[in-house]
Amino acid sequence: MNLDATGAGTLAATSGPGAARQNEEWFQLLLTNVIDYAIFVIDPDGAISSWNAGAERMMGYRADEILGKPFHILFIPDLESFNKFIREMKVAAEVGHAEDEGWRIRRDGSRFWANSVLTALRGDDGTLIGYGKVMRDLTERKHAEETLAQKNEELARSNRELEQFAYVASHDLQEPLRMVASYVQLLAKRYQGTLSKEADEFIGYAVDGATRMQQLINDLLMFSRVGTRGVELRPVSMEATLNTVISGLQILIRETGATITHDPLPTVCGDPTQLGQLLQNLIGNAVKFRGPEAPHVHITATREGEDWRFSVRDNGIGIDPQYHDRIFVIFQRLHARGEYQGTGIGLAVCKKIVERHGGKIWVDSSVGNGTTFNFTLPGERAR
Amino acid sequence: MIGDSSGRPVEILLIEDNPADVRLTQEALIEGKVLNNLTVANDGVEGLAVLRREGKHANVARPDIIFLDLNLPKKDGREVLMEIKQDDSLRRIPVVVLTTSRAEQDLLRTYDLHVNCYIVKPVDLDQFVTVVQSIEDFWFTVVKLPPA
Repeated sequence: MNLDATGAGTLAATSGPGAARQNEEWFQLLLTNVIDYAIFVIDPDGAISSWNAGAERMMGYRADEILGKPFHILFIPDLESFNKFIREMKVAAEVGHAEDEGWRIRRDGSRFWANSVLTALRGDDGTLIGYGKVMRDLTERKHAEETLAQKNEELARSNRELEQFAYVASHDLQEPLRMVASYVQLLAKRYQGTLSKEADEFIGYAVDGATRMQQLINDLLMFSRVGTRGVELRPVSMEATLNTVISGLQILIRETGATITHDPLPTVCGDPTQLGQLLQNLIGNAVKFRGPEAPHVHITATREGEDWRFSVRDNGIGIDPQYHDRIFVIFQRLHARGEYQGTGIGLAVCKKIVERHGGKIWVDSSVGNGTTFNFTLPGERAR
Repeated sequence: MIGDSSGRPVEILLIEDNPADVRLTQEALIEGKVLNNLTVANDGVEGLAVLRREGKHANVARPDIIFLDLNLPKKDGREVLMEIKQDDSLRRIPVVVLTTSRAEQDLLRTYDLHVNCYIVKPVDLDQFVTVVQSIEDFWFTVVKLPPA
């Protein structure tokens, strides 16, 4: 037997009757002993007429048990798989061969996922004398694919749930909070002075708590949106982004006497809103945690292969190296509320933004020596 | 206190299910300088019934402005807004959505439904009062509205 260009086998002598017989015997031997592939022949009526070692290993039938049996013994007993095989035979008869994947049944009733190629076998005169079937067991790959699909579905669901949570947070949690804050304030307004000084103090704490809670909710919402709401990455001029951020921080800059300077900054590949937020959080922090002198913030960029490394350096109070990892964790704060305001979410947002862009963020700092935040972003051509 | 140009009080319809929120809006309106009559509907269905003067609402004045909450029982604020803006006799009444929702989907959807403005209610009482008063100022002293 040899295979012609269309893949249809032809049972024919290669050179002389003796050589043909020899060829065929060798070939038979080869087919019989292949164990990773099931190779068998089905006659035109659908009865199995040959069976190799691979077929026995894959499906559990010995040759003497299965020869002469109808092929559909290997199929899931339903009309759909039966029809599918009939179609497959038709295609193979018409174009020479047909490929298929599907569940098949072993002798013990267990199922396996098979990839199979059915090849029409024709005699010298072109009459169909049967079909050769070569089958591979791809159950493991199938299971891996299914597990992956399932994990993807779980991930998609958990993202949808997060979206839903973000929505609930932005609306349903704010509502009762507003009531608490507003009515405590109304009490204060209505009864200011008629209550004790202590009562005024208590009201102050209650309002402060509600306001802070609202800030937390809004920050949390923003944090959750970094991953889910970002736009597609595109070329962003960091110089233009920085200028926008600086003009937005004018009040803070005036109030603190801060100076913000920078070297020429490149264009990177990113989400403009998020990169603006990143710069704003870092510069805002640099000014907020200022030292005895007026804050000076300097921003630089250096090329590192395909990426750019940005550094935001300040002359502020600095950060003890033992806290360098903690500062990027959501809601971690290093200072008492009385010293510095904030929810402890700013750097967590920075980290999430940088990581969404495929970069890294880290800090160089020690107490009293200022702080440099470094982060990497993909260059413009990295898209 | 001033009313509209004819001196009559302005008619405000507030569609809001939370009594605590209704009360806050009343408090804010009391402090305002525009003379007003406030009618309250507690859900979307009642809000539309008031606007169409159905049943027991037959004698209610036509509102000059509608304050609308988004999350309402029976028929929510988005549906109410859609029906108002599809109704030839109601669509010219300015609708101000007052909500706690900062969700982008709400913001976009509401403007797509032709809301006249979308306001996120501040948590702080003084800010809320300021917001309500600026709504009054803007819609009744700055804006020229079509005749009813």
